[in-house]
Amino acid sequence: MPDYGHDLIFGSFIIPANAAPHEVVALAQESEAAGLDLATFQDHPYQSAFLDTWTLLSYVAARTERIRLSGNVINLPLRPPAVLARAAASLDLLSGGRFELGLGAGGFWDAIEAMGGRRLTPGQAVDALGEAIDIIRGIWDAGERSRFRVDGTYYRVEGAKRGPAPAHDIGIWLGAYKPKMLRLTGAKADGWLPSLPYIQSLDEIAEANATIDAAAVEAGREPAAIRRLFNVTGRFGQGGDRFLDGPPEQWAEQLAALTLEYGFSGYILMADDAATIRTFGEQVAPGVRELVARERAARVSGAGR
Amino acid sequence: MSVEHGHPLRFGVLLTPRDGERAGALAERARMSEELGYDLVSFRDVPGGLDPWTLLSWAAARTARVRLTTHARAHGAGADHPAVTARAAASLDLLTDGRVELVLDGADGTLSETVDVIRGVWAAAERSPLRFDGEHHRLTGAERGPAPAHNLPLWITATTGGAQALRVAGRKADGVLLVPATGDAPLAPDPGGVLLAPDPGGVPAGPGTGDGLARAAALIDEAATAAGRDPREIRRAARITGRFTPESEGFLTGPPRRWADDLLPLIRDHGLSTFILATDDPGTLRRFAVEVVPALRAARGEVAERTPASLFVRRHRREGIDYDAVPAALAGTAIEPGDAGFARVRSTYMRGGSPGLVLRPGTPEEVGQAVRFARTQPVKLSVRSGGHGISGRSTNHGGIVIDLSRLHAIEILDKAARRVRVEPGARWSDVAAALAPHGWALSSGDYGGVGVGGLATAGGIGWLVRQHGLTIDRLRAVDLVLADGTRVRADETEHAELFWGVRGAGANFGIVTSFEFEVDEVGDVGFAQLVLDVTDTAGFLERWGAAMEAAPRDLTSSVIIGRPSPGRPLIGQIMAVVNSGDARTIIDRLQPIAATAPLLDHSIQVQPYASVMHVPHRPHDGQGEPVTRAALADHLTPELAAAAGRLIGTGLTYFFQVRAVGGVASDVPPDATAYAGRSANFSLVAFGSSRRGLDAAWDELLPHFNGTYINFETDLRPERVHDAYPGPTLRRLRALKRRYDPDNVFRDNFNITPSDP
Ligand SMILES: Cc1cc2nc3c(=O)[nH]c(=O)nc-3n(C[C@H](O)[C@H](O)[C@H](O)COP(=O)(O)OP(=O)(O)OC[C@H]3O[C@@H](n4cnc5c(N)ncnc54)[C@H](O)[C@@H]3O)c2cc1C
Repeated sequence: MPDYGHDLIFGSFIIPANAAPHEVVALAQESEAAGLDLATFQDHPYQSAFLDTWTLLSYVAARTERIRLSGNVINLPLRPPAVLARAAASLDLLSGGRFELGLGAGGFWDAIEAMGGRRLTPGQAVDALGEAIDIIRGIWDAGERSRFRVDGTYYRVEGAKRGPAPAHDIGIWLGAYKPKMLRLTGAKADGWLPSLPYIQSLDEIAEANATIDAAAVEAGREPAAIRRLFNVTGRFGQGGDRFLDGPPEQWAEQLAALTLEYGFSGYILMADDAATIRTFGEQVAPGVRELVARERAARVSGAGR
Repeated sequence: MSVEHGHPLRFGVLLTPRDGERAGALAERARMSEELGYDLVSFRDVPGGLDPWTLLSWAAARTARVRLTTHARAHGAGADHPAVTARAAASLDLLTDGRVELVLDGADGTLSETVDVIRGVWAAAERSPLRFDGEHHRLTGAERGPAPAHNLPLWITATTGGAQALRVAGRKADGVLLVPATGDAPLAPDPGGVLLAPDPGGVPAGPGTGDGLARAAALIDEAATAAGRDPREIRRAARITGRFTPESEGFLTGPPRRWADDLLPLIRDHGLSTFILATDDPGTLRRFAVEVVPALRAARGEVAERTPASLFVRRHRREGIDYDAVPAALAGTAIEPGDAGFARVRSTYMRGGSPGLVLRPGTPEEVGQAVRFARTQPVKLSVRSGGHGISGRSTNHGGIVIDLSRLHAIEILDKAARRVRVEPGARWSDVAAALAPHGWALSSGDYGGVGVGGLATAGGIGWLVRQHGLTIDRLRAVDLVLADGTRVRADETEHAELFWGVRGAGANFGIVTSFEFEVDEVGDVGFAQLVLDVTDTAGFLERWGAAMEAAPRDLTSSVIIGRPSPGRPLIGQIMAVVNSGDARTIIDRLQPIAATAPLLDHSIQVQPYASVMHVPHRPHDGQGEPVTRAALADHLTPELAAAAGRLIGTGLTYFFQVRAVGGVASDVPPDATAYAGRSANFSLVAFGSSRRGLDAAWDELLPHFNGTYINFETDLRPERVHDAYPGPTLRRLRALKRRYDPDNVFRDNFNITPSDP
């Protein structure tokens, strides 16, 4: 089973509720203080109870110093790719290279259409996402002198000025489950970002990894070029036998096993209180790092023997 | 000639992202502009440059006062959906507490529809989803909201020749931003010496007459009037550029005096009130701010600055309130039904409301002004702190609310004496959080969302009541605004009788603007939730009551019983706090109450008191009216327990709660404060859905009770006042009322009339 060998990152997944905007910002700051590497917010622009995720990300970026930020995941159907690319590069520049682009094809089509967005079938939406990734990378390619033109089925760009170029290579992470989307992830993305509640079994993860890896190879890429991240839910407490339901040490063991056997190198916890975020950052993250480092070292020396 | 419209003069900057420049440098210039006193910062959208909305959101987080405007990406190829734009703008407005303004480009035909969609999304007070069937935009039932934090001004950019945009602005916008027709070209003076945008296809301007600005103004005014608006609603702004030179060389090219001379006529004769200076040169930014702005302000002189309320706002006004007479200090933060923030302030935790005016004073002095104004208006007056009132009707229909949420400071006055000052708009969760770092706490109630004002003027039966008494027992002084708007301080020596009355009947005598408490040393506590089978309701209540009376004072608990459902055991929930972090003590204390009925489930946590009280802030959106009855009882006698069991059995109450009181609260003599029910070991409340049904059933229980605690009671019959305030207490309270509120201005909550009714 694969371990792609990436360094480990730990993050929070914070509900961007607009009822108490300053508490949302404070939780991102808590995440930074707890030593987490990443703070993320879901993006459902049709949801009136949420803050606009883009605005929030930009605001939070200016109120933090070290932590990386991402949408989890940005809703492409309501965020035109050329605008998104420029905004993402801008945020990366402003934040000193702290922005990553979690991106999704969209799923709640009734709500998207109610907002004035275009309804697509799930298959079309994946194709549209593929086009969008090309546009986003094209805009970021500011060194390229030619005017930028794309004549896609879903998106058209007519001679847009490219740029700005982001401060670092922004990772494009896709929330993917079905084969077509997984293949797109392998072919074009920098990361795979599924969520625990939507995953039925460990076998499903293994299969998804295999699909991504095959698509990567077919596109002439290393499977390790695609980081595997995981949105997880769980509970700290006395302990049960369910996944991520127990003391921090138990979490650490379970997550380390996922890294070593299923290739995940990023864990993003859905948590809306500071105490949970702190436990995750201060107790779980170092625990997983230590266990994984030990096992990786053992594997290397084992292989050398 | 069109003249001054009474808008405050404002000055802004337009900053331009430059190739190769460090991104942060731009945000730095935004901050510098704020420091220089500019009112507005905006960013220019340069192809291939930084995204203006991202930049604006970033700058918003790095500034504190300045307003922020940007062009929405709301039209053309790189457009956002206008509904997304609306939410983004509202979101930034919420994050910045109301510092955002939005500019829409007037360049194409979608403009008018875009304005409608954006306003439709912001109209969160409307309960129907947003449908819009336009030529350019189609929405098929989008959610509305969030409402921005303030009436977020929508500006439309136009050239003086852009008739279509000017007309849309006149009909629908809050402001027009006049820009040069050819991109970056500076606005130039026309032969008459008046600013005029180069106007390619337009009529050439003759000297002094028919110049571009006057034509633009006429178009705006005409469209506004035709739409039933007051043309003064629409603010006029211009984007300007210029150079400071030693000699006067031309329009906005010369020494500061020349600039002032050029701009003043635009203010005086053309009603422009906002100027956006497009420059990135720090020297120019500084000189304009330091030398031109003050000169213009001085030259303009005194102008009655009052932005007229928009047509929309005026249409939503209620009868009986003289809106134009609202004191100036309060007008800026007041919220009326047509205002953006109305959805967030109309209702309370328990009640739906639709007041005609919500005043939000920010200082005790402003509270005084609010009271003086409100008492002249022939409508209901409600006072609101945290909005969790049950007996206290802190909203109304068509009346005035004085909302104290902006008065929410918590400060330590004296560390050694553990003396703390708390303002009424703070929530008890905030108080707990602020005291925790000192190892202190103040017993208040069981729910951190409750406000300080309503609880600390009535009683305060909290998690530490048996060991540290009622909240009012820890009160040492108050500042309050009386019915005539004057302010007094009351404590054991000054206005001592008033201080006595405030502790139990405070809502009758004024508005408390500051409470001083002596708080207690409290660390970690044991917090337990026990779920029990209380099918034997009467037996359980009797046993739990006896266990609580026998318990050491560091234990406080309450019982909640829901509505029985046939064929299922009746579930009771005990919540308990043991004021100790020691596991042994906690278990010791809990055992007797856990043994009062079959235990189905339990959880026990040792945590800081502040964690028990923690609840996130949420705006209220209550609907309807709560139906409750409440009482105090000395003991849960077999007779009372049986009667309560029967009441629960009828299903007339869906939430029946008994809280332990007693302990230290009972050590205080009944005449020491206006809260007289000192002998009570228990406080009871029942929530129902039928006023008549609940009243009839509860009235049967009256013989078992001994008084009442006002804060849980919604029965309006006059007997309740006598239940809460027995003879001698009531006589003293009436005397106080005659002295401090003879006209009975404060009458919405357990009203003590100045004389016997
Ligand atoms: C969920 C919930 C839990 C509760 N738990 C407890 C509890 O454990 N213990 C307990 O004792 N009570 C409890 N209460 C009752 C609570 O104390 C009262 O409802 C109290 O009035 C709420 O205060 P507030 O400031 O939030 O209310 P508001 O609705 O803002 O005010 C209620 C009334 O208080 C008066 N008032 C408010 N502010 C002032 C002021 N500054 N000066 C003078 N008068 C003022 C006014 O008459 C007003 O109508 C609870 C209520 C709720 C809804």
